[in-house]
Amino acid sequence: MATLSGHAQHRQASGGSATPGSSAQAVPKPPVLTTQHPLVAGPAPLPLPAPIAIQRRVIVLDPAHGGSDAGAQISDTTAEKDVTLALAFRLRAMLAARGFTVVMTRDSDAPGGGGLTLDDRAGVANHAHAAACLVLHAGSSGDGVHLYRSDLDAVSAEPTVPPWLTAQAAWIPQSRLLQREIASALARSGIPLVIGAVSVRPMDSLTCPALIVELAPADEDADSINQTGYQQRVARAIAGALLVWESRVQAPPQLSVAASTITTLATQSGRTALHP
Amino acid sequence: MSQERRQDPRRAQPLSQHVGIQKIQRRQRIVFWCLMLCIFAMGLLLAVERHRERRRIEALAEQMPIDAPTAVAETVTLDLANDQDGSIHPETRQIALPLAVNARARALIDHLLAEYALPGSAHSLPPGPAVAEVFLLPLPVMGYVADSSSSATSTAGYRATMPVPSDGPSGLQPQHPGGELAVIDLRSSWVNQHPSGVEAESLTLRSILGTLHRNLPRIEQVRFLVDGQARETLAGHADLLRTYHVRDTTTQMDSEDPEPKNP
Repeated sequence: MATLSGHAQHRQASGGSATPGSSAQAVPKPPVLTTQHPLVAGPAPLPLPAPIAIQRRVIVLDPAHGGSDAGAQISDTTAEKDVTLALAFRLRAMLAARGFTVVMTRDSDAPGGGGLTLDDRAGVANHAHAAACLVLHAGSSGDGVHLYRSDLDAVSAEPTVPPWLTAQAAWIPQSRLLQREIASALARSGIPLVIGAVSVRPMDSLTCPALIVELAPADEDADSINQTGYQQRVARAIAGALLVWESRVQAPPQLSVAASTITTLATQSGRTALHP
Repeated sequence: MSQERRQDPRRAQPLSQHVGIQKIQRRQRIVFWCLMLCIFAMGLLLAVERHRERRRIEALAEQMPIDAPTAVAETVTLDLANDQDGSIHPETRQIALPLAVNARARALIDHLLAEYALPGSAHSLPPGPAVAEVFLLPLPVMGYVADSSSSATSTAGYRATMPVPSDGPSGLQPQHPGGELAVIDLRSSWVNQHPSGVEAESLTLRSILGTLHRNLPRIEQVRFLVDGQARETLAGHADLLRTYHVRDTTTQMDSEDPEPKNP
């Protein structure tokens, strides 16, 4: 256990006990793959810790930036950190009205972004075992909403010890489905939409269906990003999509410890020289 | 004593007459000080212009390719980004490029980013030299992993790393024989002016990766530095610490997603 990453320790320490959202409905245990790598000796796969159920009624919102980190300067009077927090509050209200428990990584503009680093925010999100993790950003380019998932290559099963910098890889198929769900809802609401895949921390470290929601101005005027009606429309569409998503989310299959060891090493490729 | 002073005619005369100097008229003094002011202003102007010219020559020298371009312009394809719809589309240009691969890569990126600095660009970026250098490393490249057994990690609070053999699973492996890793060293003067935002930053990186993919297929992976140092993000969002695989970035990511790989 001593070799586990902090993320893995968090996952195993929480053990599926008390988590946000008492009304959460547990899902059946996901299938466990016991693939034995040919390079790993041993007659039988090691016993696995019980996988932690997804809390279907829990949503994580991460209003990016905060404190001294203002993010992008959208106009002379509007900073990204303020837009993300305002959108998070609207979304939280919409989700709470629909019976969700919302975990926010910050709920004020405290100095230093509430004292949480990007890795801390990922830790908060991973502890929640949420049905969806939405990282909220805002920018001045384009219009409408930009909806991104991680551009990591997807893997078909989650290692028991997920590598911190590529933990999202096993959740990519679920993130892709969530992206389509929210994109459909936004399109139905008539909101201009750009979808894609990007590499923006800490999304690659999240062990939940995760998306970046970047809010752009409603029209040519950059300050239109602050319009209450516009933000309400975006929040309503996202909250509606999450209501549908609640019944569709599934955890990825788990790998055995033996196969996980190989996978953990293999997926660290390209990330090993520069740890945060 | 006081009577002697009054009676001394020399003492009663003004000093100028006493020493034989004519009194300088007021307008002459004004002319004098105007001339002095002009001399000072011209000296200042000369110094400023000299400094400005030196900076211009230095900037020109920075933009010069390491290798001389070939005499004949060749057709290259630039992957150009559009902020409005978040798309990348290819456009061909006739550009004279140097022969060395790293110099070609640098010249390609310089031309690409210069397009974005033009008025009316669909993905507006700051003008000026952006790339300091492009280094090419043959793959596989040695990597490093965290060494939890090191005494530095346990006692000093540092995060020790140890090299991973190139044939190990953590090494950066080529997809094809002869594949190379390009390390693009960006200038902080350009990076610091890059617009901030997930879309803006991601489009810049995708545009660079796509352009390298189309024109220099030997380059399979890319890492970014800023003034020779690792930097977390381009302008607060896009990750610059990871290794990027070059790929065709013009297609929609959603439609090109491969099936999940088996670990």
